[in-house]
Amino acid sequence: MANEINKEEMHTKRVLEPLAWIFQLISGLILTVLVTFHFYETHFVSHEAMEYELVVSRLSSLGYKIMYALLVFFVAFHAFNGVRAILLDTNFGAKYPQVVNSLCFLAFLIAFGYGSLLLLVF
Amino acid sequence: MDVEFRIRRFDGEKSYWQTFNIPVKRGMTVLEGLYYIKENLDGSLTFRASCRMAICGSCAVKINGKPRLACETQILEIGNSLEVEPLDNFKVIKDLVTDFEGFFKKHEAVKPYLIRKDDNYEEPVELIQSPKELHAYYDFTLCVKCGACYSVCPAAATRDDYLGPAAITAAYRFNADSRDEGEKIRLALVCGDNGVWRCHFAAECSEVCPKQIDPAKAVQKIRFKSAIETIKSIFR
Amino acid sequence: MWQKWFSVKGKSLFSIAFSLHRLTGVVLTIYLCMHLAYLTSIRMGKEVFESFIATTVTPQFLIFDILLVLAGIYHGVNGLRLILHEFGLTYESRKSILYVSVAIVLIVWLIASYRMYTFVMGV
Ligand code: HEM
Ligand code: SF4
Ligand code: FES
Repeated sequence: MANEINKEEMHTKRVLEPLAWIFQLISGLILTVLVTFHFYETHFVSHEAMEYELVVSRLSSLGYKIMYALLVFFVAFHAFNGVRAILLDTNFGAKYPQVVNSLCFLAFLIAFGYGSLLLLVF
Repeated sequence: MDVEFRIRRFDGEKSYWQTFNIPVKRGMTVLEGLYYIKENLDGSLTFRASCRMAICGSCAVKINGKPRLACETQILEIGNSLEVEPLDNFKVIKDLVTDFEGFFKKHEAVKPYLIRKDDNYEEPVELIQSPKELHAYYDFTLCVKCGACYSVCPAAATRDDYLGPAAITAAYRFNADSRDEGEKIRLALVCGDNGVWRCHFAAECSEVCPKQIDPAKAVQKIRFKSAIETIKSIFR
Repeated sequence: MWQKWFSVKGKSLFSIAFSLHRLTGVVLTIYLCMHLAYLTSIRMGKEVFESFIATTVTPQFLIFDILLVLAGIYHGVNGLRLILHEFGLTYESRKSILYVSVAIVLIVWLIASYRMYTFVMGV
């Protein structure tokens, strides 16, 4: 194990890490509300909640559209920023932080974009 | 009473377990047990120790799976058979001796000394501090740099350049000192991607610290401060 | 390498909580991707969607659903615990807070599992 410190890295104070950390916690807080609501809506309210017509009618209403947009935004951010943190915990992440950051950001955009498609269709 | 010591040894090439049976009296420490083996059974057994009074931090080893100071752990408190291994997350040099060079470098890297604009070694002045100011950081001065915290940290386990709990705690200890003026410098040092962001509050460091100084708490405090300072710096 | 995040031999409950948080985080992320792919069926029309629902909202799938919900509840509740501590609050009582979190996870999980059971069985 080479316990060496990359001096360059240490002296560059970057804003990415602190912001990513604080948003990970904030998105976690927001998800608690949104995920609980989403789960409640689909599993607790009624047996018919998963019927096609009801699903489509929810997807067509503005209120739900906003709620789902927020949900898919925060969950995609939280999940792939979480994966980013995991990868940066490794020597691979230490060596290629830019690769990890860009791939995870891309994954976030794809997940958010793909999830939002559904909101645009209805 | 005879106690079985199972020791994980390493000779530079291969790692193996070796068992010794030694006579133990009440109050005898694990370190004394290791000395007994070295003096009477196998002179090639290698371990590190100095003060024998839990103050130098040399003798931390894994005893029955948990890192402890060998000199302050009594054998009979553990039981009548024990396993002694070198600390995890450090490169083993020989038997129980691990390489601390990187660990000390990280410590040095956070500038663990008072930084002041008016440093004048020709005519030193007394720096006054109230008891309250002292207690803001006092507990964290008790660190003996034994590496126990680093050896159980899951981030240090997989990323070699992570500063680790002890170094970050040292940075916090000086930042919290009312005589110090180097807070900004140290915040910048722990703010990289090998710094505080690697902590996920597994909090095992606080569980194993023989000085009970709660390194996990210091990491959270300095991390929060770093995040706030960064956000402020964006708007400045 | 990564196995070290999950080695809990000789570790305290806090390390186990960390390992489980990481594990459930990854499981939920994989599920998120599957879930987004699944939702494509809504865009493909009523028949496709309903055939998907007919195969997945079934007693056979219930066990996976219930385990997934356990992962979700654990990650959420433990996440709130982490947020509390990482924002600099209450590490002094971290032991009791951990016990309370585990209790909350179990209670919420039992309630949710019961509800999902009746939901799928159509009670
Ligand atoms: C329900 C509310 C949720 C809360 C309160 C929450 C909270 C958190 C927190 C606080 C962390 C940071 C842990 C740390 O690094 O110290 C985290 C990490 C993570 N979360 Fe969540 N989370 C939630 C939901 C989700 C969901 C729905 C997903 C996946 C789709 C997810 C995926 C992840 C991943 C992959 C990590 C990284 C794990 C790690 O660093 O070990 N989380 N979560
Ligand atoms: S913080 Fe505690 S465990 Fe870590 S090096 Fe210092 S004394 Fe040892
Ligand atoms: S020999 Fe000094 S701390 Fe144990």
